[in-house]
Amino acid sequence: MELISERLNIDDYEEAVELFYKRQWTDGLPIVLPTRRRVEAMIDYVGRDPQESLGPVPPRGGEATIEKLAINAAMGGCLPEHFPIVLAAMEAMMDPAHNLNGVSQTTHMCVSLIIVNGPIVRELGFNSRDGVFGNGYRANAAVGRAARLALWNLGGALPWDTDKSTLSHPGEYAFCIAEEEEDNPWPPLHVERGCPPGSDAVTVFACEGPHSVFCYGTPEEMLHVLADSMCALGNNNMHVMGQTLVVLNPLNAEEFAKRGWSKQDVRMYLWEHARRSLRDVRACGIVHEQFRKMERDAGRYPLRYDLDNPTTRLPVTPAPEDIHMLVAGGRSYFAAVLPGWGGFGGFAVTRQIQRPRQAPR
Amino acid sequence: MEILSPVWPSSSAPRPSTSRPRTLEGAVIALVDDNLDAPFTMHLETLLGSHYGAKVKRLVKPSGTAPAPRELIDEAATDTAAAVVGIGL
Repeated sequence: MELISERLNIDDYEEAVELFYKRQWTDGLPIVLPTRRRVEAMIDYVGRDPQESLGPVPPRGGEATIEKLAINAAMGGCLPEHFPIVLAAMEAMMDPAHNLNGVSQTTHMCVSLIIVNGPIVRELGFNSRDGVFGNGYRANAAVGRAARLALWNLGGALPWDTDKSTLSHPGEYAFCIAEEEEDNPWPPLHVERGCPPGSDAVTVFACEGPHSVFCYGTPEEMLHVLADSMCALGNNNMHVMGQTLVVLNPLNAEEFAKRGWSKQDVRMYLWEHARRSLRDVRACGIVHEQFRKMERDAGRYPLRYDLDNPTTRLPVTPAPEDIHMLVAGGRSYFAAVLPGWGGFGGFAVTRQIQRPRQAPR
Repeated sequence: MEILSPVWPSSSAPRPSTSRPRTLEGAVIALVDDNLDAPFTMHLETLLGSHYGAKVKRLVKPSGTAPAPRELIDEAATDTAAAVVGIGL
């Protein structure tokens, strides 16, 4: 296999690990050394030309070739079977609708969350249940970190340089979950977004970390607390709309379904009730007002809301479909909301995972 | 042990640059408005004109959070002595 990356011949393990720090090729955590054998195994598995490129990775524009992505996937701890998911996630992030250039450089603290759906979740041991946003599962950690390392090494989004996030986000190291599809009465996220049932897909969405929502009781009680959590004045959505994400646990979803609520019913209710008055929103100050005006001037803020009437009830998103919903986590009291970047971008993009033809299922 | 570099090689060829204008007086300066902070950009435009005597060619990006279209950057580079192409907020 012909690979064109610079080759380093180092026999000392410690020296090799330290070299990655010295050259700023890692994000602060140690890496798995991307040996030629590991990288070739990754590329062999997907059966693609090593020099095929998914395009330049913003902001610095390094080419996302299969070879370079395989090297970063190896560094992140991926096995070859994880690599098709990394490729799908990178394709999704690099879709213009996601505005990766902006997501990587904004002062806001959003990071692109990778959500995995389909039979591949169980086959590869992704966690979709208790502790879903946490540690302990190689598939979540390795796929999440591989994508972040690719953005680091190819995109050049470094915190002392082009990444201007003022507080940033722990998900800068890895931010990957899977949806719970078995203990779930509703259609999964990727099917709602147009993928065939039974297919494998990733969805990326740039968002804050999960905000805990103490969510238990009747559908009306759960919706009351969810709606309130979604429209906090500190999140960007309340000022410049965009998209947001709601993660319900399997028990929440079961309770809704038992009482006849479809996923779309819940979404519509939240869109209609997760609102604040213009008076409340305006009380946040002139800067928020300027951003709202900028978004309106740019055509990204709906015109149907009367911004001169202080009693106008403003929703968190322009349309119900901009509230993304999935089921994950342990059967419990807790749900989560993950506000987005606002109307500036980071919007959800879904890509099907292309399995290699000979790969065992 | 053979290890592979994870980064894309950076271009070492320096970009050609034009000479700096000796004065702003009478010079045409392109001002690419990031569409993020209109009062600041308008103030800068006024200062360039009233204080330094420059003629400002103002171009507005469609989005403040995505790169300017190529045509807009080309226009900023056409018949101008210098250009302000970004304002960090």
